[in-house]
Amino acid sequence: MSLLQLLLDIVFYPPIFQVLVVGLIVSLIIVVITIWFERKAAARVQRRLGPYHVSPQLGGLLQPLADLVRYAFQEPIIPRTVDAAIFVVAPVVAAVLSIIPLGAVPFTSNPAYWPIPMENSLLIALALSTVAPLFIVLTGWASNNKFAVIGGVREAFMITAYELIAIVAMLAPAATLSTFNMVDIVEAQASLTWFILLNPLAFIAAFLAVVMSTSGFPYEIPESENEVVAGPYSEYSGILYGVNMGANYLRRFALSILIAILFLGGWLPVQPGDGLVAGYLIPTIVVLAKALIVMLVASFLRAVYARFRLDQALEGAWKYVFPLALIGLGLGIIENLLL
Amino acid sequence: MKDPEAREEPSSGAKIGLPGFKVRKIEEEVYEVFIGPQHPGSGHMRLITRIDGDVIVDIDPDIGYVHRTMEKLAEGREYIKNIPLFERMAIHDACNVTVPYVRAVEKLLGVDPPPRAKYLRSLLCEINRIAAHLYGFGIMGIFIGHSTMYMWSFGDREVFIDLAERLTGARQTHSYPVFGGVKRDMPQGFPEMARKAVRYMRKRLPEYEKIFFENPVVRDRLEGVGVIPRQVAAELGLVGPTARGSSIKYDARLAEGYDAYPELDFEIPVYTEGDSLARTYVKIEEIKQSLNIIEQCVSWLETREREAPMHPKFWEKSPPLWKKVYQETGRIKLLPIFASLKVPPGRAVARGETARGEIIYYVESDGSTKPYRVRIVSPSFRNLPVFKYIVPGHRVMDLPAIYGSIDYFPPEADR
Amino acid sequence: MSGEQETVDLEGLVSKALEGINYSISREKGYVEVSVPLESLREAALRLKNAGFDHVKSLTIVDYIKKGEFKAMYIVSSYLSEELSGGLIALSTTVKRDKAKLPSLSDVWISLLFQEREVYEMFGIEFEGHPDLRLLLLAPHIAELKPLRKEFIVKEEPIIRKPK
Repeated sequence: MSLLQLLLDIVFYPPIFQVLVVGLIVSLIIVVITIWFERKAAARVQRRLGPYHVSPQLGGLLQPLADLVRYAFQEPIIPRTVDAAIFVVAPVVAAVLSIIPLGAVPFTSNPAYWPIPMENSLLIALALSTVAPLFIVLTGWASNNKFAVIGGVREAFMITAYELIAIVAMLAPAATLSTFNMVDIVEAQASLTWFILLNPLAFIAAFLAVVMSTSGFPYEIPESENEVVAGPYSEYSGILYGVNMGANYLRRFALSILIAILFLGGWLPVQPGDGLVAGYLIPTIVVLAKALIVMLVASFLRAVYARFRLDQALEGAWKYVFPLALIGLGLGIIENLLL
Repeated sequence: MKDPEAREEPSSGAKIGLPGFKVRKIEEEVYEVFIGPQHPGSGHMRLITRIDGDVIVDIDPDIGYVHRTMEKLAEGREYIKNIPLFERMAIHDACNVTVPYVRAVEKLLGVDPPPRAKYLRSLLCEINRIAAHLYGFGIMGIFIGHSTMYMWSFGDREVFIDLAERLTGARQTHSYPVFGGVKRDMPQGFPEMARKAVRYMRKRLPEYEKIFFENPVVRDRLEGVGVIPRQVAAELGLVGPTARGSSIKYDARLAEGYDAYPELDFEIPVYTEGDSLARTYVKIEEIKQSLNIIEQCVSWLETREREAPMHPKFWEKSPPLWKKVYQETGRIKLLPIFASLKVPPGRAVARGETARGEIIYYVESDGSTKPYRVRIVSPSFRNLPVFKYIVPGHRVMDLPAIYGSIDYFPPEADR
Repeated sequence: MSGEQETVDLEGLVSKALEGINYSISREKGYVEVSVPLESLREAALRLKNAGFDHVKSLTIVDYIKKGEFKAMYIVSSYLSEELSGGLIALSTTVKRDKAKLPSLSDVWISLLFQEREVYEMFGIEFEGHPDLRLLLLAPHIAELKPLRKEFIVKEEPIIRKPK
């Protein structure tokens, strides 16, 4: 009995609950929907059907799950030349660290359901979001493959380009409201207006950073198929490849939730009340729906854009998007003075 | 167990001292990457690429992975059997690739196809050209990561493949031109179908431009990349859209003036920039010109009476029943006379413009049923120096953009 | 023949360019053949290049096994001059089969670089002065057979194998 109690205590300990339940299970559903939408929307633009034969009633929605099952039962080949320990561990760590930021994100204003105290939650979430990409560089390095190394180096270049943009742009709301408390930021958006309207420059910069961070088109550079096969993941197969692929979507998911909270009003227009349903479930669904929209828009770019060249992407990031993020931050400070 | 490294001695043929396969020293800061032959972006070839940082310093194109020694195989086959063989160089451009061979043999035979056959050949050539250019756009699209262009152009290519199928009975390897003529006449209702296809493609081209060619990301990737100055293009002997993108006004249809082309009204698009974008725009303009030519051909063909599809020299020897069936349906079997056709001794050269550029055939006959020597130089083989001389100095990610824009096709280059 | 366009007098042009070189000229089907002896091949090539024939379309080798010699034909034309581009000139020379060596003209016409490598592996003809004479298309054990020489016979497998 006490062991069960202990397990339940661990699972329902708020930060772990949020990472495990919202992070893993919900994000799996969201990732399935995103991959399905990405393929289906691209297919619609490209005058094809897209995935169809797995669950035709749902329009092929379960195809990513079928792929996941296939990955799970494929033989994971670990080449003799790789650094086996890092080769296996790095993608798993990257996937887990990708959803760690959720442990600091509030889905409701009801303090009973906060994972951690919210005073500095924005800083904590941003800090946690920067850890995972290092392990992608590590996967490339451990693979001992020239294409993987080139891919890893490209990933490293991209990290340096987008990370600063993401952090600077996402700090703009904090500058406006003089707080790092994400709950306060959401509540303030109820009285003012959403930050996408208050500070559109910061929003655009943050959105581009999300696309860049997760190798979405037009920044699908580290794993660009036609030069570097699959970039850092060239040597991976089976479930390890599946984990690698999933980690990218998980990272996009975590950052999309941050964008939903900071710029899209979080759980607004719902006012969380008491109890599990009104206080936690409904606001969470609203936040997830907003994050999903951000993810779907990012996915749709794939049908429209080709990929930039590495130097063009870096130039764009440092010359245009980073100043944009800085201007967004400045705008946030000016708004702070006006308010 | 045999040592896999030990190579078996050749069973016949004298040895020559081959100073090939030299050992090269690699500088320390240069990264040597073998792109291909099993690589999603290489095709059936290997590019031994040396990279310094993100810049390519040297490329050694290693081709031959789909080499079939067609020149030798041709020496062992009857003349007519070589037509399907040579088609295998570029199966989606089959008519353009074989017409110069047929013309070279016709020069030796001293026959000239009847005008209707000439128009039919040109018609199929232009259908092939559009299909091949769309194929090239698709490959280029996926090379720079634009999957929509890939799917669109491969989907629209189907329209012209269907058109070719209606005309010849085969989607890709048509074997349509034969010595002194063509294999069959166009079927009932073909002109309407062709005009519909032309209308459709004219509607689609602006949409292509909207999503691909005017797309800011695509323009960034193509503009100013892989610039080939006019003088360099001439020195390297480049062909087709690659040369015409570098302001060389050369087209074998114009220079040689074969088939119905002297009577048709078309322009040779030439761009002066010499970069990947210019090469791509040459292809778009060529599709527009080809659409015009198709319209002119079907208009000419539908207003004329059906006449013999072949030179009288061969046509008169066909059985009367075949002639009757031909008059009714436009279809005919391949005449048996071709199976043992003896070609008078002589030498002939003919060139033709395929979608990728100029192809040149040298045919020498010793009077027997098989050619003594056939020499083929295909357009992709002549565009090969681009990899060696133009790509170095560009960034790694420019390689697919240049590769796609010169539309290099390994099976055609290897022959 | 069908619409051969020749806007210039190729024979006149060649005679002017190759003044002082011992050559013979003949009009073949689709091209004009200019035969020069092996010694003056390079000189003739240089002069043709200066006369405006800026690229080689085809390096054609024909193996005359009965005469015991190869004929090498450099089919050249022009890109930069539009009136020259209509005609084809085949600069040809002969070389003995047992002494199969040609001077490399790849420094005159860069477009020959890969074609000389191809001829080298197909016929075993060496090009003296070629900067990078390696195999191009064939694997080494095939290239040793010199597949395009006439003594190499392609053995075709029968469609139905006879029972032993």
